[in-house]
Amino acid sequence: MSTAVTPYLEMAQAIAEAGGEAFRKCYQCGTCTGTCPWSPVTHFNIRKLMRLSQLGFDGIEDLMWGCSTCKFCVDRCPRGVEIIDLVRAVRGVYAGGGLLPPPLRAFVGSLTARGNPWSGDAPKRNDWAQDKYPLFAEGKEYLYWTCCTVCYDPRNVLVAKASAEILEKSGLSWGLPGTDAQCCGESVRKVGDLELFEKLKANNLGIINAKDAKKIITISPHCLATFRQEYGVDYEVIHFSELLAALIKSGKLTPKKDAGGVKVTYHDPCYLGRHSGVYDAPRDILKAIPGVELVEMDRVREQSMCCGGGGGGLWIERAKGERLSDLRIEEALSTGATVLATACPYCIAMLEDSVRTMNAEDKIKVKDVTELFLESLDG
Amino acid sequence: MDFEPKILCIACNWCTYTGADLAGTTRLKYPQNVRTVRVMCSSRINPSFIIRAFQLGADGVLVGGCHPGDCHYGTGNLYARRKLAVTKKILEFAGMNPKRFRVEWISASEGAKYAQVVEEFTGDMKALGPQTTFKINKD
Amino acid sequence: MSRIGVFVCHCGLNIAKTVRVSELAEFARTLPDVVVAEDYKFMCSTPGQELIQEDIKKHNLDRVIIAACSPLMHEKTFRKVVENAGLNQYLLTIVNVREQDSWVTDSEEVATEKAKALINGAVYRARLLQPLVSRFIDVNPDVMVVGGGIAGIQAALELADTGKKVYLVERNSTIGGHMAQFDKTFPTLDCSACILTPKMDAVLQNSNIELLTYCEVEEVKGFVGNFDIKIRQKARYVDHDKCNGCLACTEKCPGRSVSEWDEGLVRRKAIYIPFPQAVPQKPVIDRESCTFFKKGKCRVCEKVCEQAAIDFEQKDTFLDIKVGAIILATGYDLMDTKPLVQYGYGKYPGVYHALELERLFNSAGPTSGKVVMRDGKTEPQSIAILHCIGSRDKNNYEYCSRVCCMYSLKFAHLLKEKTHGDVYQLYIDIRAPGKGYEEFYNRLVEEDVKFIRGKAARVTDKSDNPDHAGKLIVEVEDTLTSQFVTIPVDMVVLSPAMKPRHDAKDMARLFNLSTDKYGFFMERHPKLAPLSTMTDGVFIAGACQSPKDIPDSVSQGTGAAAEALTIVVKDKMELEAATAVVNPAACCGCHNCVNVCPFGAPVFNYEKNVSEINEALCKGCGLCAATCPASAIITRHFTNDQVMAEMEGLMEF
Repeated sequence: MSTAVTPYLEMAQAIAEAGGEAFRKCYQCGTCTGTCPWSPVTHFNIRKLMRLSQLGFDGIEDLMWGCSTCKFCVDRCPRGVEIIDLVRAVRGVYAGGGLLPPPLRAFVGSLTARGNPWSGDAPKRNDWAQDKYPLFAEGKEYLYWTCCTVCYDPRNVLVAKASAEILEKSGLSWGLPGTDAQCCGESVRKVGDLELFEKLKANNLGIINAKDAKKIITISPHCLATFRQEYGVDYEVIHFSELLAALIKSGKLTPKKDAGGVKVTYHDPCYLGRHSGVYDAPRDILKAIPGVELVEMDRVREQSMCCGGGGGGLWIERAKGERLSDLRIEEALSTGATVLATACPYCIAMLEDSVRTMNAEDKIKVKDVTELFLESLDG
Repeated sequence: MDFEPKILCIACNWCTYTGADLAGTTRLKYPQNVRTVRVMCSSRINPSFIIRAFQLGADGVLVGGCHPGDCHYGTGNLYARRKLAVTKKILEFAGMNPKRFRVEWISASEGAKYAQVVEEFTGDMKALGPQTTFKINKD
Repeated sequence: MSRIGVFVCHCGLNIAKTVRVSELAEFARTLPDVVVAEDYKFMCSTPGQELIQEDIKKHNLDRVIIAACSPLMHEKTFRKVVENAGLNQYLLTIVNVREQDSWVTDSEEVATEKAKALINGAVYRARLLQPLVSRFIDVNPDVMVVGGGIAGIQAALELADTGKKVYLVERNSTIGGHMAQFDKTFPTLDCSACILTPKMDAVLQNSNIELLTYCEVEEVKGFVGNFDIKIRQKARYVDHDKCNGCLACTEKCPGRSVSEWDEGLVRRKAIYIPFPQAVPQKPVIDRESCTFFKKGKCRVCEKVCEQAAIDFEQKDTFLDIKVGAIILATGYDLMDTKPLVQYGYGKYPGVYHALELERLFNSAGPTSGKVVMRDGKTEPQSIAILHCIGSRDKNNYEYCSRVCCMYSLKFAHLLKEKTHGDVYQLYIDIRAPGKGYEEFYNRLVEEDVKFIRGKAARVTDKSDNPDHAGKLIVEVEDTLTSQFVTIPVDMVVLSPAMKPRHDAKDMARLFNLSTDKYGFFMERHPKLAPLSTMTDGVFIAGACQSPKDIPDSVSQGTGAAAEALTIVVKDKMELEAATAVVNPAACCGCHNCVNVCPFGAPVFNYEKNVSEINEALCKGCGLCAATCPASAIITRHFTNDQVMAEMEGLMEF
């Protein structure tokens, strides 16, 4: 029995046609794997995945779910290889035919049937608002696109409420989307299901164009990145933290209540930082809160460590010792901070889960910058 | 009788003319409707040359020069590029089919490209038929 | 009325097989103004040439047309033939009936018809051709070499040995360049100073070389054969004519600054020579760190100088020189690796770059050749050498810097020798193309250097592993075993990209050169003319053209010297005759020609209010003629009338 393998070029071709042709540029230097946050904790090896794709070798299925699309490798790659596109293409080629891991089947199923990944009832999308907040209509200035996660995930609903309250207090003209809004589709696109993504995108673009929305705020950096890069439209899309930082700077909102000298450290979400280039706005918000001492971790800004939630990671269960969010909590604890602030619902979900499983609830709390800001605003 | 177009090619000495020679050295075959005038640089070309060529009965005019950035004289072909782009617009404005005027950047090593462009352009001119817009009839 | 002779070459069967040559000659005879038409087997042969010359005389021809191979082939040959028969060489036209006719079609009919049209075009043009006279100008025999590194030194010595006078201009206070900073050189492990200092000394001793150190080129005017250069001699506050190099002044000087020569590893005095073997051995005062210039006190150097050579009143002076050719050999800089935060240079003291390590190895360096850390004491027990830091990298420099694999191997060898420590070599590919290079690599592998194929991703000082405490951790994937590896080491050495000098673009502007997309000086042709530039008379050598090692720099130095010699070995230079000229009556003074010419040939005469073209600079490209809105510029040999006449002839058939 020969153990010799032969390049299976049809597979490589299929991957290239699915959008992974970037593998042609790779010269296998290993910078990506050396940089990847998963390399020290799992057997996931992005360079190897690239190599197998180049020649169509077996083994792709074992590696392709390890990536959380954090973009650190892309930033460091000396050849400018679009590595995330390869991951997406490989998943796209393999994702049909039952090769989705079970947790992602539920995720895709929920999106197909209900337009959100949380198996939430579509008509209940705005229930968290309890009719307190306006709906967007033509003529209003800002459409606040609430991420499915803040609409349905109980922990993140608190972020929806805090952010909506801030908008009310700001006096801006704004409104929520109707319950026909569906998931922005960012995660499902990275999971490889382009067809489902296009359906969700078409639905959402229809809503946005029908309401003639010109300025969109997102609370999730994933929605932000997708609207800016994949939806291909010319309206302005900003992250909530950018808007809030601007409101603080112009004096429209001024936090008054002293936080009492609390040490806060900030975690740069991959999709807000590396993907969208927003590093200062959330920090400006924290610095504006009186009584907050901002301490920085070692791996911040462009070098931020992924929480593991991107690329479908939020729905994939990982074994203890293989969780990036655990490492991140350790790093946060090492700064002496008692609050870990961030600006992404996925990061909040991942980091809070780690705090719980590490029994660190009395040592550190995970908060969204909007929650911290609102606390300081009332006072 | 099959229509055989008359094509004037104005080629720069350092790149396109040399490339055309290379096509010959490698014995490539292409339609011989093209007659070439050699200039030192594509930047030498005055738009009036193009118009004159059509007046003289050219069915198609082809200009060849060095690739932008590689001009033997540094920046000559960059000016040529713009000038000839405007020339094309003027031709169109004056009623000439702009397809009859083509500019190609062909380097000294691109003999095959020269042959291919001439082949293509000759075919295009055959399809378009005789040029009558500017041609001055001697009688 | 012209008297035109047409000569059709058979070129054996090359033309005659497809073009009906006698029919062609017959046809030519029918054209107006053609008084004779011949065909012959090999026009370029001696009998062929004689045929032409006889006919010129017999028929009193004043224009000659030769239908043969491409003008790019034999135009020069036939121009001489015609000139020798007493006819101006510019009254000759070559018609290409081979490369662009007989060789590109199989049809006799088509080939012959086209040849007829081509000859007709040539006849129309020939009627309008004018005799042109080449002009000659005197050539200055001297040469200026800018840059006193190995390439510049080599060029200067070669030229001086031919008897030419060379001005060697160096901005530092010593010659030697980067090579003088090295300890040993690959692959021979020659001591760098041992092979370089004899050359440096030869420069000093050679009476044909005027060594201008601590000088910079301020202004360049003129053109090939006749450059006017203004050189700034920076104030050094020491009279080098009086100074005898005893260096007593450097002993007591209280002023301190970071030593550039030692890559910032130590400090130097305000009055200093960069290194003990500096040429010339005369110190300079660095004004910024001199106590007297800063506070008005001290003057110790003045007190101890027995030659009374200290002169605080000294100012920058200027020197005007004239040369016939220029060689630029200004070398390279290493890229600053601080912005690559993942490697921690500048953050972790244990991270070094290549030149710093060279200075550690160098016996005349800050540690007298001992490899110790920045505390001056600790010897590293484990070192990682990281290849490709900034090279082969789209985010920094896309090219390969060519020498780093080799010097990294050299480092590994020297580290093994001097520290007996563990040495790790983190690479993507090992590039060892030169003579003896692969063998050197083999030697290193046998010296138990640990090679890891993977580009280093990160250097950190944090680790969960208690064994790694106090160490720098290098994170890398060992791609050959697909494993993520963390290596604890004492010292990290980065091999940074070699980049153009920080002011290369300013230099290029000064000398009217182009730079490539990275900022290196652009050569005329990367394969066939790597040492000449588009500016006649200015040549380049060494790393200022592209990253390279010492053997190549030396070769290029010699090569550039030869190139420069082709200019200055002649007394006179022939100028291009097919140049442009302005008709002052038509010139409207718009300056367009002045603005577009790549060579600066048109100059606006403010007294006459018209443009005038410097024929020495004009290359005859014709851009100005096509740009001039008043049609005031005539390009000789390619006038509007001549070109359009040719077109008319071509289109007639």
